[in-house]
Amino acid sequence: MLTENYITAFCTISKGVVSKNGTKIFKNTNDGPASFFTSIYQHFQLKYPKYYKMDNLSKLGWLATEILQYESFEKNNYQPEDIGIVLANANSSLDDDIKYFETTKAIASPSLFVYTLPNIVIGEICIRNNFKGEQAFFIQDKFDADFMCQQVNYLLNENILQACICGWVEVLEQDYKAVLFLAEKIKTKKSVLFSAENMDKFFNDIDN
Amino acid sequence: MSSTVYVAGLGVISAIGNNVAENLQSFELEAAGIGDISLLDTIHCKKRPVAEVKLDNNELAVITGLPADTSRTALLSLVAASEAVNDAAIPNLESLRTGFVSANTVGGMDRSEHFFIDFVKDKKRGKLRNIFDHECGCITEIVADQLGIRDFMTTISTACSSSANAIFYAARLIKNDMLDVVIAGGTDSLTKFTLNGFNTLMILDDEFCKPFDENREGLNLGEGAGYLVLVSEKVAKTLLNKPYCKLSGYNNSNDAYHQTASSPDGTGSYLAMKGALEKSGLNPSDIDYINLHGTGTANNDSAEGIAIKRLFEPDYPPMSSTKSFTGHTLGACGGIEAVFSALAIKNGIIYPNLRFETRMNEVPFEPERKFLKGQNIRHVMSNSFGFGGNCTSLIFSEI
Repeated sequence: MLTENYITAFCTISKGVVSKNGTKIFKNTNDGPASFFTSIYQHFQLKYPKYYKMDNLSKLGWLATEILQYESFEKNNYQPEDIGIVLANANSSLDDDIKYFETTKAIASPSLFVYTLPNIVIGEICIRNNFKGEQAFFIQDKFDADFMCQQVNYLLNENILQACICGWVEVLEQDYKAVLFLAEKIKTKKSVLFSAENMDKFFNDIDN
Repeated sequence: MSSTVYVAGLGVISAIGNNVAENLQSFELEAAGIGDISLLDTIHCKKRPVAEVKLDNNELAVITGLPADTSRTALLSLVAASEAVNDAAIPNLESLRTGFVSANTVGGMDRSEHFFIDFVKDKKRGKLRNIFDHECGCITEIVADQLGIRDFMTTISTACSSSANAIFYAARLIKNDMLDVVIAGGTDSLTKFTLNGFNTLMILDDEFCKPFDENREGLNLGEGAGYLVLVSEKVAKTLLNKPYCKLSGYNNSNDAYHQTASSPDGTGSYLAMKGALEKSGLNPSDIDYINLHGTGTANNDSAEGIAIKRLFEPDYPPMSSTKSFTGHTLGACGGIEAVFSALAIKNGIIYPNLRFETRMNEVPFEPERKFLKGQNIRHVMSNSFGFGGNCTSLIFSEI
């Protein structure tokens, strides 16, 4: 029998709006991605100077995990090795790759170069939170909830992880979208079943 | 459970020689393998010195029996791994559980770069065969097939600590009685990919590198492969030749500081060295020689030096970076330098740190400048610290 796991929180950042568990909590539709992300950082009074040197993909993933966890996740209830991250997007680190490639025409930028891998965003999140569990970054044409569900359920049901942050983090030039889910084994008052259907529903809700 | 893991055989190919004997001779002659780029087709020719293996792919193909269009990473690997297996001369090897744990960071990138040139011009061009072995694990498979290893193989890729981690992992496979014999180490070939990447990071020296020198300006990339044959106690008893040494300690630690830099205080390096000492049950004063990671970059040597000061103060063992001979061979350096460490114990030698002139401001010690013979070397620490903060220290001890 397969064990049931639960979405205990979710966070979306898309089209100038930040939502937590389906409720809009911040809006700023005037700016492009870089300024919008910084306005989120300032609005929620986050304090992490390293944020400023990250590329846009890392900034977006980092912001989404901060908001996802706020008042929803007590990471100290788990061992660092029991918390993992599984992310996906369609364009890898292409947003930063393009910016880096532009600099190679004059002097190649080391600070952009070190973000030309998609899984750097996972590294930034793990360093911030001291997560030491399994992690993976998948590149796929579009969000594949069935695939994500299968991956994360496996990690939880095999006791490789006890909690997992998973979902979609995508930035390419002016387009961006983050939808992150916190999957745990425990049922809470507000939790819903960790299923492909529920992930798809929340993933698509933000576009309506 | 095998409580002790022995080093029964060695194999190495680097810019200073195509086998163990040639490498040793270059050390004694204090002859570095660094020079102008001659085999790699790159815009950095005549500008950035590198440490190339002095055989082209056709020559390597003849030696190994592999096709000449095989990735250079696999060709180098097979040369050194075969030497190690022959050197160990394990009786009845076929009847033992044997594994191949091989590290690399570039995989078949050298062939992919050939493919890319034609493919970019015309999407219908480029030989697909050239990207078939792109993935790091393919290199291990090619070599394992040639060695006839069927029981276990795996690939480790953790940047510059890759092959030290391969040795570490292999030892654990033996200690847990999963295998009797493991050929462990790593390989990497020079590619445009790595040369351009390190160039972007602005850590390549335009001159020959000067590890642990106050006026160091960066590293020289190198290539090569190095393997140990690790065996269990049970197998060690059957050997015709006495093993070189035993692997007595190992540790992997990460300071999670930056994608490509060590923390300024060398936290990761310190934890790796300290952990390896604890594992071996030795004190800092027991170490007779440190084979430094010593890349020649401002950041690595400073962080590694500060970590050594913290751990070894006030008495420092002789130390040197053999990268002043071989260049930085990335995924291969942990394997190559493990071979050098085992030879230091067996032959009672300490390698010189070439081109050292000025002590670094942040430390009270200097690396060894001369080739020393007749030393009593009981315990050697070998450091390999990688991008991503991945730091590994190994300790080899006399038997």
